[in-house]
Amino acid sequence: MKPDRLTTLLGGLAALGLVVGLAAAFGYAPREAVQGNVQRIMYVHVPAVLTAYLAILMVLVGSVGYLVTRRAGWDHVAGAAGELGVLFTAITIASGSIWGRPTWGTWWTWDARLTSTAVLLLVYAGYVLLRGVLADEPDRRARFSAVVGILGAVNVPIVHFSVKWWRALHQPSTILGPEPSPIAPPIAMALLVNWIAFTLLFAYLLTRRVEIARLEDAV
Amino acid sequence: MPDNWAYVMAAYAVAALAVGAYWRHLAARARALRERPAQTRRRRTA
Repeated sequence: MKPDRLTTLLGGLAALGLVVGLAAAFGYAPREAVQGNVQRIMYVHVPAVLTAYLAILMVLVGSVGYLVTRRAGWDHVAGAAGELGVLFTAITIASGSIWGRPTWGTWWTWDARLTSTAVLLLVYAGYVLLRGVLADEPDRRARFSAVVGILGAVNVPIVHFSVKWWRALHQPSTILGPEPSPIAPPIAMALLVNWIAFTLLFAYLLTRRVEIARLEDAV
Repeated sequence: MPDNWAYVMAAYAVAALAVGAYWRHLAARARALRERPAQTRRRRTA
């Protein structure tokens, strides 16, 4: 399949997934008994953080791939995924902050999960800035950013396990935890649909950004 | 607990705006890159 066709297909699937995801979040999923309708923010917040994890995993894979093979394609994937890691981590923090105000009574607190997620955002914002600064030196940009991308990925397990390692206001993991998920089936289904939609959106934006990186190298 | 619909709408709006802004940025960058060789060609032939 040609890259243009693949991008168009992924774009269509992502748009469809997001529409179905909205219908699941607002039409199918029930009103949560304790928090009320404000819990519906979860259908953005959780898929956003899972997509951010996926993006950073792609940075790690692309960076290792580049250092082993020295092929520009791996660097393009890592660079594109780094930008998307920033985007989805920022959405995670913003939606979490908005959710925190009515449920915790504050927009922000220096809780372990929130602080480690903010550090993750800063690390990958720095990664994107570094790539921008070295834009005219593709080899140095690829080498330096690969090292930063690999070291930065260490933050992901810190973010994920922060609620276990330290006393935190944020609730423990309910879907990537060791125990079976306690989430009610309709809520879990709506979450799954939105997770798939966000993953499709990520795949679409990644392929689009990689195409642009190829064009940038060709000019 | 009250429903706090304004917070729900704000969270979805922020997410949509962030993705929309990035998507527009990519579209503008792709357009600029596709137009650049054409402009160079026009300058060469002028």
